[in-house]
Formats: sequence, C-alpha cells, structure tokens
Amino acid sequence: MTAALTIEGLKLDFYGVHVLRGVDFAVPVGSFTGLIGPNGAGKSTLFNAVSGLYRPKAGSVRLGSVETTSLPPEKLVAAGLVRSFQLARGFPKLSVFQHLMLYGAGQPGENLLAAMLRSAAARRREQELTERAFDIARRLKLDHVLDNPVTALSGGQKKLVEIGRALMAAPKILLLDEPMAGVNPSLTEQIADHLIALNRDGLTICLIEHDMALIKRLCAPVIVMAEGKTLTQGSFDEVASDIRVQEAYLGRRH
Amino acid sequence: MTLLLQALINGLMTGALIAVPAIGFSAIFAVLRYPNFAIASYATIGAFVAWWANAGLGLPVVPALAIAFAVTGVVGVVAEEISLKRLRDNGALIVAIASIALNLVLENIVRFIFGNDMKGYDLPLARDLRFGELRIGPQQLQSLALAAIIMAAMFLFLRYTRFGKAMRAVADNPDLARLKGIDPARIAIVTVFLGAGLSGVGGVLIGLDTSIDPLTGYRVLLSVFAAAVLGGLGSIPGAVVGALALGVAEELALIVTPATYRTAVGFVAILIMLTFRPRGILGERAA
Repeated sequence: MTAALTIEGLKLDFYGVHVLRGVDFAVPVGSFTGLIGPNGAGKSTLFNAVSGLYRPKAGSVRLGSVETTSLPPEKLVAAGLVRSFQLARGFPKLSVFQHLMLYGAGQPGENLLAAMLRSAAARRREQELTERAFDIARRLKLDHVLDNPVTALSGGQKKLVEIGRALMAAPKILLLDEPMAGVNPSLTEQIADHLIALNRDGLTICLIEHDMALIKRLCAPVIVMAEGKTLTQGSFDEVASDIRVQEAYLGRRH
Repeated sequence: MTLLLQALINGLMTGALIAVPAIGFSAIFAVLRYPNFAIASYATIGAFVAWWANAGLGLPVVPALAIAFAVTGVVGVVAEEISLKRLRDNGALIVAIASIALNLVLENIVRFIFGNDMKGYDLPLARDLRFGELRIGPQQLQSLALAAIIMAAMFLFLRYTRFGKAMRAVADNPDLARLKGIDPARIAIVTVFLGAGLSGVGGVLIGLDTSIDPLTGYRVLLSVFAAAVLGGLGSIPGAVVGALALGVAEELALIVTPATYRTAVGFVAILIMLTFRPRGILGERAA
C-alpha cells in the first residue's frame, strides 16, 4: 500500500493547551478515508495543521514521499493537497464562477503584466480553466447558479461551491471538513454520490464526518481520533466494535 | 429653511472630514478585527506633522498632507508591530484596551515634542463665500475637495489594485485567502499603514478648519467610532455614509440643543443603531 498522505507524531499547542498530542495515520492512495471522533478531538485542527494554516510543534507530514511539514498553504495547494472548510463562507462578493476560477491552478493571468499583455499562453490557460469551471459546475449541478453571488446560495449549494473550489485546484488528495453538515438529506445523498464518483475516478479523499451511516457507507479505512491523538483505525465495523471508541464517544464506564 | 440648509451643508462638510479617519478605522477593523482607538493619536500626530511642514517649513497644504500621511502611516505600523501585534492572539477586547493605552502614550509624546498650546496653520485668510443667505468658507470647500479625492483614491485602490483586492480577500475570509498565497501578516502591515495614514490626514483636515492641540484627535474619536458603527464596522463605503449621516445629525441637533450636547449625538446614534440594526447601515454581518 502506498500512502497519499502520511502523518507522523503530529503535535500542536494553542497557548499551552495540547490540542494535537501525537497524531499518526496514513491515507492510502485512491482510498476514501474517514476521520471520525467526538467533538474537540482535534480533527479540524489536524486539517489546519496538514494544510499549512497552523504550524505544528512537532511531527511530520508527507505528501506521497515528499516532506511537506510547515510548507505555506499555497505551496501545499500547488502540490495537490487541497482542503474544504467546515464553514463554507467563501468570499461573499464573488460569484460561483469567480470562486471556481480564482482557485484554478496555475493562472499566468494573475500576474498584472501578463494579464495586460494577454499572452497566448495566458489566454489558452484561461480558456482551459473556464472549461474546467463549467465542467465542475455541471458535475456539481451548480451550472444554473454560476453567476449568482455565493451569499445568494442555499447552505447546501455553498457546500457544493466549497467542493468545486477544491476540485478546481486539481487536487491529488482532497481533505473535506464536514461537507454534508447542515445539508438536507437529498442534497447529502447527491454530495455523497459526487464524492463516490470522484473517488472512483482516482481522487484520494479524507473526510471528516459525524454521520456514522455515511461513514459506514463511504469510507475505508476509518481513523478514529480522540483527545488529540489517533485512537485506532480499521474498517468501519472494526472501529465501531472497539470498546475504546465507544468509550471515547459515550464517556468511560465506571 | 435657510437654517436647515445651512445645517445640512455644515453637516456634510464635517461629515466628509470625519469620513477620512473613519475609513482608516474601518479598514483596520475589517482586516485585523479589532477597534483601534489609537487612531485618535494618529489623527493628532498627522495634524502636528502637517503643521510642522506647513508653518515650520512653509509648505502648502497638499504636500503637508502627503508628509502627514506618510509619517502617521509609519508611526502606526511601528506602534502596531511593537505593541498591539503581540496582543492580537488574546482577542479583540484586549487589543482594543491596549489601543486606548497606546493612544495616551502617543498623545503625550506629541505634548512632549510640540507642547500643550494650540497651534494654527499658516493659511491665507479668506472671506466666506455667500450664496444668498448661505455661507461657506473657502477653506472648508478645499478640505471637502481633498477629502473627496482621498476617498476616491482609496476606493480605486481597494477595487482595482492587487493589494486592495488582497486586503478585501483577507477581510472576507482570511483562511481562504491564505490558500491562495496571500500572506495576512503583510496585508495587516499595509492596512495599518493606510488606516493610520488616513487618520493622520483626517486630523489635518479637521485642524485646517480651526486650530490644533494634543487633543485634536481625541475630540473626534467618538464621532469617528460612531460613524464606523453607524455605517457597519468593517465596511468602507459604510464608514463614509455613517460619517455623513452623523455630521448632518450633529448639525441638526445644534438647532434644537445647546452646542455642549453635540457629542451626545454620537452616543445616541450608536445606541439607536445597535438597538435596531447592530450590523450598521451597510454592514454585511453582525460585528
């Protein structure tokens, strides 16, 4: 088994509070890995540390075989590690299309000089990205709201934009932080179907989710975190029957 | 009728002057998420630097304004880096309180350097322009024009430049901006420079109208804060709308109440706004 993402001994403190106290796990290439754990286990913090937003105190993160600990977030995105946010707020003034285009990888037109010269390469790339944006929008059924500002979207649609934005960056591995939270059941099914399809096409996904039925259906392996550490991992049935996991969720029996 | 019209004109004039530091205050709030009350001392410092350039070096108003902008911007960045920045992680309230302390320190440095006396700019005396019964001072008109130009420049900067767009991106969603390679720390420095610089310019514009002393900035602090709250904390167009509304409200209040109650208008405006529309006139979310 080769790993798309390897996390070893990752530790992180906030003002003396040990939020991550040694996280170890690997996300196999092509897998749909689930990351579960009770509230406050450090799952979102782990995503923030892995995606470069927080600087870990100790430990290492490898993308494939490349050491990426402490790389700045935009370098990690360029390397193929892309994440979504639990709060899918986006940039309130931008449209769906602008969100998608903004996170398209490698835009020569971002450079002011190149934008003014409108070089052939810049135009070609922009054309490619536009097509890609339309493609992703169709896939996520966002094509009819492309020109709407994100503030005008429903909560579920915002979640889809968040996924679409991540896909635009051409990820090798996608870290999704509760993409279905607060979404109505039928849209949850749709998002789940999108994710399954993306995973079948070869995209490695690591998903934080509280809905155990979804985790059971979508994810293997499942990693359990509690109190800032990896507690155990395995298939859903294995971890679900683990007494330590039950204790972490329900509190220890005395 | 003339009384009302005159009050309206005066209100828009003072409002436009308040709008400049209010933009600075709101820009800092939008990006750094705390109210920086030290802008009062930045306004005072700007006023004194421009006075030194104008009355001391004999420069005209516009170059004096530019010098005041640059010096105040640098003072703001230095003060931010050595004091407020270290407290940012402890929450907005702590930084806000520290900014009040910083304000006192800077205000007293101004006293130490320039003394406590009132100072006046070296400006040609001019008769008020009269339009029928209405009177407008040429100096006020010039200040109004300068304020308008500065505001327009700020809008163009925010809307069209790379830095301006990066500033708005960080204000809207700092984490998402970081994924795009925007460094919030750099943006914070630029924002503080601009915010402090604009406060300094505001101090000059206010001082041009009357005279300056070490409390010049402090006296308008409440109005600036009220304008930003009225318009919606963190919204730049909101700061302008809030300042103009507040300026007019203050002048209208003068018709029916003694001038000593003028500052009360700011408090009342904040109170009404926070009761009925906490996010302000143009604010996008609750502060």
